[in-house]
Amino acid sequence: MDFGLKISRVSAPVLFLTAALLPGAGSGSGISGEVDAKGLARRIAQEKGRVVLVNFWATWCAPCRDEFPDLSRLQRKYESRGLRVLGVSTDLGSQMPAVEKLLADLKPSFPNYRKTTGGDDGQFIDAVDPSWGGELPFSVLYARDGKKARVLSGQHTFQQYEREILKLLK
Amino acid sequence: MRSVRTFLVLAGALALSGTLLAAGPQVGGAAPAFTLTTVDGKTFSLADAARTHKAVVVMFIATKCPYSNAYNDRMRDMAAAYEKRGIVFAGINSNKTEPAEEVIAHAKQHGFGFSLMKDPDNKVADLYDARHTPEIFVVDPDGKVRYHGRIDENYEEPAKVASPDLKNALDALLAGKPVAKAETKAFGCSIKRV
Repeated sequence: MDFGLKISRVSAPVLFLTAALLPGAGSGSGISGEVDAKGLARRIAQEKGRVVLVNFWATWCAPCRDEFPDLSRLQRKYESRGLRVLGVSTDLGSQMPAVEKLLADLKPSFPNYRKTTGGDDGQFIDAVDPSWGGELPFSVLYARDGKKARVLSGQHTFQQYEREILKLLK
Repeated sequence: MRSVRTFLVLAGALALSGTLLAAGPQVGGAAPAFTLTTVDGKTFSLADAARTHKAVVVMFIATKCPYSNAYNDRMRDMAAAYEKRGIVFAGINSNKTEPAEEVIAHAKQHGFGFSLMKDPDNKVADLYDARHTPEIFVVDPDGKVRYHGRIDENYEEPAKVASPDLKNALDALLAGKPVAKAETKAFGCSIKRV
């Protein structure tokens, strides 16, 4: 987990995309690119007008793996109404083969990124949300105007995610 | 009406005290006393350790958490280096999912030389309101918390650490100076409570 940039607690998270990251990169197997704090914020901003669910996960986190099918289902069910799910792996760089294997096996319907290696982990965590301590899974919901609307720490059911998403899709 | 109002005031006061109690120790405040049995059968008392050392480093750690494991070598090396200078390290495993046998095997695998103990029913983690692994509290000989938070800011690349917060705190204590950054945000896996 590269938790890198110091972000004001009152400002939106600022994350950065590497050049390798394609805007709006697709779903399916494979990592779409690496992000740090600035890049992730920019990626979220690209989805303005949509409701965005950013889900932080890791291969070693069993509840994260359990959630994946539900997140894929949510993306498929609500894509036409304006939902965009974005996954962010927080695995160590050395775990990339496991990350790629998991994505190949689960074939998520949403794009996945990887947090860049190194940097200030505490600052990245703060940038995502000051209430976050790095525990996984961790999700952040953004409203259509790009503003953070809700954080969900820990494993949640399809129905719990759906309830929160529907409040924002209205 | 008055009795209702009195009840509400009392209920509010109780709720507030509950919140304060649940918040854990503050930097500069008293570290909650605890006594645990180490995985090799010895008794570890925080009060005794604090009285006999220049500081006690209380570390909530884990065997399976990648964040905590990323710091295994750093914890081992710091403990060895600072114990020569009068600071004792103590590792506490509060995870209900990680039994003592696993803690012993993990310590052996990583060459830990510091005391290790299980925290049955995560009572000590609750006393400290510790949430993550790794999460550190440094206690001085007066039993006061002098540092709380992370080991450093970069768990993945030890060679590129720019803010060695725990080391800085220990060096300040050994030099008799105030700890400049006495509170940092601990990050890691959640402690798996009962």
